[in-house]
Amino acid sequence: MHNERWLLPEGIDELLPEQARALEHLRRRLLDHYASWGYELVITPFIEYLESLLTGTGKDLDLQTFKLTDQLSGRQLGIRADITPQVARIDAHHLRRDEPTRLCYIGTVLRTRSDGFAASRSPLQIGAELYGHAGIESDLEILSLMLETLNTAGVEDIYLDLGHVGIFRGLARQAGLDADQEAALFEALQRKAQPEIDALIGEFSVTDECAAMLSALAGLNGDDEVINKARIALANADDDVLAAIDYVAALGAALTQTLPGVPLHYDLAELRAYHYQTGVVFAAFVPGLGNEVARGGRYDHIGEVFGRARPATGFSADLKTLMRVARPEPLAVPESIFAPWADNDPGLLQRIRELRRAGRVVVRELPGQAGDAASMACSHQLQLVNGEWQVSAL
Amino acid sequence: MHPSGAQLSDADTDMNFHTPLTIALSKGRIFKDTLPLLKAAGIEPVDDPDTTRKLILDTNHDNVKLVLIRATDVPTYVQWGAADLGVTGKDTLMEHGGDGLYEPLDLQIAKCGMWVAGFPDADLAARRLRIATKYVRAARDHFAAKGQQVEIIKLYGSMELAPIVGLSDLIVDLVETGNTLKANGLVTLEHMHDISSRLVVNKASWKMKHATLSELVEELRSVVEKG
Repeated sequence: MHNERWLLPEGIDELLPEQARALEHLRRRLLDHYASWGYELVITPFIEYLESLLTGTGKDLDLQTFKLTDQLSGRQLGIRADITPQVARIDAHHLRRDEPTRLCYIGTVLRTRSDGFAASRSPLQIGAELYGHAGIESDLEILSLMLETLNTAGVEDIYLDLGHVGIFRGLARQAGLDADQEAALFEALQRKAQPEIDALIGEFSVTDECAAMLSALAGLNGDDEVINKARIALANADDDVLAAIDYVAALGAALTQTLPGVPLHYDLAELRAYHYQTGVVFAAFVPGLGNEVARGGRYDHIGEVFGRARPATGFSADLKTLMRVARPEPLAVPESIFAPWADNDPGLLQRIRELRRAGRVVVRELPGQAGDAASMACSHQLQLVNGEWQVSAL
Repeated sequence: MHPSGAQLSDADTDMNFHTPLTIALSKGRIFKDTLPLLKAAGIEPVDDPDTTRKLILDTNHDNVKLVLIRATDVPTYVQWGAADLGVTGKDTLMEHGGDGLYEPLDLQIAKCGMWVAGFPDADLAARRLRIATKYVRAARDHFAAKGQQVEIIKLYGSMELAPIVGLSDLIVDLVETGNTLKANGLVTLEHMHDISSRLVVNKASWKMKHATLSELVEELRSVVEKG
């Protein structure tokens, strides 16, 4: 048998020095950036009781979550598959502020099934959440921060996609669909499978008016013309649906004004993360990648189960995906100074300490080691000149 | 990557392919049936698909390429954006699951049925039936919906052989004329799905090349509706 003990499970990866350096550089820049916008970093647990991890988040996240039994309590534990609900709990249960709260986070999540390109099951999720304000202004702030994140990472040619889960929810309610019918239609809508959507609606006993509106939904996507089309096609929808269309239109107009260069696509049937999103949903796409590179939206009710419903909006992205699709400026490799081995030389030790304190990289030779300064990728070395250790180029 | 500013050399249509498009097709029946639809929408391959050994075919539009791949690979190519759109059977799509794809149009070509088949005296209600099929997901879902627990045996071809040699009790397969079944003493027992080819589109392409793609879909829709 071949020795395959080095092999990692599917969708689990490791980063080698060059990638790790680039990723860490980006991580620091992003967190500093979020801090400059007033977003406070929180660190959530990697593992916790399943019921608190999954409360109010729906079945999708349940299937995505690795589970194990806690030997201490006998209860089921889950490894986080999404950090957003954890951060929402921090806001609702621990902080309990009345003012707007801005939080950001970064951490590895694990997923039983990959849902992105290159099939990663261990994304490095980074994101920001804004609690305590309902309205397009806070959505706009989150969207701007999401775009700045992509720009900082060096992701180019971004397309924004804008939708609102309230439209489908409202139409389903108006048509009186039961949970099974809503789920079946939801599934077909996700695929914009118009023949199946029409067949399903034909089976439901709904009014012709509702049938026509539900059928039109899959076709309501494209540029800002869609808003006008929606106002006509869904004219008989109830007030919630009309308000949702107005909300998307207002956010789209505000976006075009604040971020003129970014192409905007509307998709009123987009139901991304439908199970905890409550309002506007958005995503960023880049050419050549089938899935979104960053996504977010409004989720006003998730804090309810932790004692307090607050308006909430946020975005998240996988830092490793961003690194893969980005064209970042090349990182300068720091120059390293090679320090030859010398027994009992206080002058050398002192010099090394000084250089390191000044921010230089000093790599010490080890007695009897293989290779020299050049093969250790050092550009300089310490040399004893007139009894003094001096840095000289190789 | 692609030359920009394609020259329109076709008079059949007003479509402008300003954005590069890659269309995934599978050789054989789907390809044959799709070509007239594409032609009506103004897209024709330059190379003769029957004689060329190329896997990427140029068309009369500089910006539009056809890639020829295995039928079961079409959803995968389109899902990951290796092709912007493609044509694939509903049978293949059901097995794939359709993640990351839009299926806006039933092209009404390569029509057939997915059936449960077996010997005329087969007992459809027996417990723990063994089902030989290429369509594992569709078969499992079909029997589960009937409340029946079955054993699925995954095969890649010659399904008809399985009941004859005692490998399975029944098969789930596509049936067009039923001649192969008949020649082997088998009959169709239960209809599962009507199958036809669907246009599938990559989600990101749909958003980023929306003007071109939606125009193409509408063009194809009108061709399909005319019959």
